[in-house]
Amino acid sequence: MILNPQSPPHIRTRETNATLMGDTIISLLPLYAMATYFYGGRALLLGLTGLLTALISDMACTMIAGRVPNLRDFSAAVTGLILPLLMPASIRYSIVIVAVIFAIVVAKQPFGGVGENIFNPAAAGMAFAIVCWPAEVFTYPAPFEKIPIKLAADTAIRTATSPAQALALGGLPNQTPLDLLMGNVPGPMGTTNILVLLTCLLYLTVRRTVHGRATLAFLAGGAAVAVLFPRAGGLAALYELMSGMLLFAAIYMLNDPVTSPKRSAPMLLYSAMTGVLSIMFRHLGRYEESVIFALLVMNSTVWLLDLWGERVARRERRKAHGAQTDPGLPQETGVHVGDPEE
Amino acid sequence: MRETGYKGILLEQNKEPLLSRGIRELERLPVQEAFFSEERPDPAQLNASRLQNIAYEAQIIDESDGVQLWKKLAKASRDGALAIVVDALDDEPYISSQLCIALWMDDELEDAITIVKDALGIERAVVEIYRNLTDIDIRIPSKIGNYRVRRVGGTYPAELRVRKNESKLLIIGACALIHLYRAVTRCRIQTTAFVSVAGDCIANPANYEIPLDCTVAQVLSASGLIAPPKRIVTGGSMTGIGVTDPTSVRVRPATRGILAFAEQFDDLGFSCIGCGRCVDVCPQGLSPYFVHKLLRAHRRGTARRAAEGCNCCGACSYVCPAKLDLSHRIYEVAADGRRGGEET
Repeated sequence: MILNPQSPPHIRTRETNATLMGDTIISLLPLYAMATYFYGGRALLLGLTGLLTALISDMACTMIAGRVPNLRDFSAAVTGLILPLLMPASIRYSIVIVAVIFAIVVAKQPFGGVGENIFNPAAAGMAFAIVCWPAEVFTYPAPFEKIPIKLAADTAIRTATSPAQALALGGLPNQTPLDLLMGNVPGPMGTTNILVLLTCLLYLTVRRTVHGRATLAFLAGGAAVAVLFPRAGGLAALYELMSGMLLFAAIYMLNDPVTSPKRSAPMLLYSAMTGVLSIMFRHLGRYEESVIFALLVMNSTVWLLDLWGERVARRERRKAHGAQTDPGLPQETGVHVGDPEE
Repeated sequence: MRETGYKGILLEQNKEPLLSRGIRELERLPVQEAFFSEERPDPAQLNASRLQNIAYEAQIIDESDGVQLWKKLAKASRDGALAIVVDALDDEPYISSQLCIALWMDDELEDAITIVKDALGIERAVVEIYRNLTDIDIRIPSKIGNYRVRRVGGTYPAELRVRKNESKLLIIGACALIHLYRAVTRCRIQTTAFVSVAGDCIANPANYEIPLDCTVAQVLSASGLIAPPKRIVTGGSMTGIGVTDPTSVRVRPATRGILAFAEQFDDLGFSCIGCGRCVDVCPQGLSPYFVHKLLRAHRRGTARRAAEGCNCCGACSYVCPAKLDLSHRIYEVAADGRRGGEET
C-alpha cells in the first residue's frame, strides 16, 4: 500500500472559502426579502439579474484566462447579489447588468481573479453606475410602491426624497430615526433596513466572516466627522450614519476579505479612515452618497497599510524574541512600495 | 496595539476513548523484555552519575524531544537544574500517551520522579498537563503522589507558551520516566514505546505499549482497521509526518502516535481570499498571508525575513479556508533563512 505524501497538519477545519462566501450570501437573503416586501417582486428579479450576469461574466473571464472555472467559488455570486441591493428598485435592468459586468470584467478579473483584485468589485461597479447614470441611481421610489416587473417609458412611479438626499440639500429628513431603523424610507433597495442590517452584522460577526470591530471603527470615524461638522442641527449625526448605503457598505464592502488589511491595527485605521472620508465626501462632494468612493480610495492604500502592519509586528517580534537580527539585513528606511526592507 | 500577542487555536481534542482505556498491549505484538544487568541497584542509593549510567545502559530516549535521556540528565546535573518538569502536555488532538501514563500509571510515575529528584538533588518537581475547554469531562488530578500537577489551559500550541525560559529546567517526558523507573527497579532496557493509535480507521483506538521496530503496517493490522486508510501519520495530528509506505516506517522510541484517517484532503481549487484567519491564529505573530503573497510574487528574500520565527505548529494551515499548504511552505522558507540561504 503506497499512500500520497501529505504534509502536516493532518486535521483541518471544516470551514472553506465556500462556507465563508455562503455565509455572506445567506445574510444577504433577508435584505432581499425586505426589498421584496417594500417594492415587490422586481427587487428579486433585479437580484437574479445581477447574480446571473456575475456568474456568466466571471466564468467567461476565467475561461478566457485559460483557467478552469471553480464551481465552489461563490465570490462572483456575492458581487452579483450585493450590487442590485445598492440601487433603487426602479432601476433599469440594463444598468445592473452593465455595473456587474464592469465589476467583474474590469475591477476583478484583470488583476488575476479571486483574491487578487485591489478594488472591491461591487464598489467599482457601483461607482461606474453612479458616474454614468447619477439621475437613475439616485432616484428612489417611495416604499410600498409596487413597481411593475417591466418598466414602460410612461410608467409613473411615485418617487420620494431619501434621507441622504435631504441631508445633502441641507435639511433634516422627514422621517423619524425609528423609520430609518425599520427601513420604511426611500433609498437603495437593500440598505435602508438598519435593524435587519445590524442582525446580519451580528450573524456574520459570530460566524467570524466579518470583523465587527472594523464596522464599529468605520462608524466611529464617520460619527466623528458628522458630529464635528454637522450639516444640520440636532440629530444630523445620527441621520448621517443611518441614511443611504453607509451601514451596508460598512458591513459587506468594508469587510471584503480580499481588499482589506489583515492585521488588526491597520484594519482599524483603514476602517476609521474610510468612515471619515465617506462623510467628508458627502459634505464636500457632488453626490449624496459617497461611501463607495471613500472605499475605493482606501482600497488603494491597503497594501501600504499591510506593509506598515508587518513592519510593526516584526519589530515587536524581535523585541519579544531577544533581537536576533541577522547581520546582513539592510536598514529599514522610508516607505518602499512592494517591499518593506529591500 | 500589540501584534505579537499569543493566539493559537482551540482544537477539539478527540482524546476519548483513548484516555479511559488506559495503557494496553497488542496481543499480536507481544512485548519482549530485555535486561542490561543482573544486579538491581538500590533506588535510594543512586547518585547522578549512576542514574546516567542506568539511563545509558537502558538506552532510554526521551519521547518529548527525541534526545537520549542520559544526555539530558548529565546536562541537568552539570547546569544545576532548579526543577524537574514532567512533560505530559499532549496538546495535539488524538495524542494522549503521556497523559494516559499520568492518569493510569501514576504510582510508577511518582516513584520515577522521586528517583530522579533524589539522585540529582533537585528540590522541586511539577507535572504539566494540557487541558482545554473541549475536554472538560476528563478529570485531571491536582496532584500525582506528592507532586503538583500544573494544568496548562488555553489554545494549541501550549508547549510554546509555557516553555519560555527552560535553561534551568530538566524537562523529561512521562514515557521516558516510566522507562527509567523500569530500568532502575528491574534493569530493563527500553524495548517499547507508548503510542497513541487512533483515527477514524482504527477499530480499537487506545494507547498501546508497542515493541520498537514494529512497522506501522503491523501496528495497524494488530489494532484492527475498520476502513482502508487514505492517510497515515506517525506523530501528532498537527505536526506528525505523513507516511507513504506503512510497511517501511517503524516504531521508534520517540514515536508518539500512529493515526489513520479514511478521509483524503481533496484539492478544492480555492485560492487565498485574504480572510486573515491565519494572521489571527499564528502564535508567533507572523502573517502567513503576507509570506504566501511574497512567495507567489517570487520575493523569497523578503519572505524569509517575514517568516522568521516560524515553529511549524500548523495552526495557519489548520484554519485556512482555502486549504492552502501554508505552514509547510512557510517553515521551509524560515528554515532556509536560518541556514542563511542566498538572496533571490
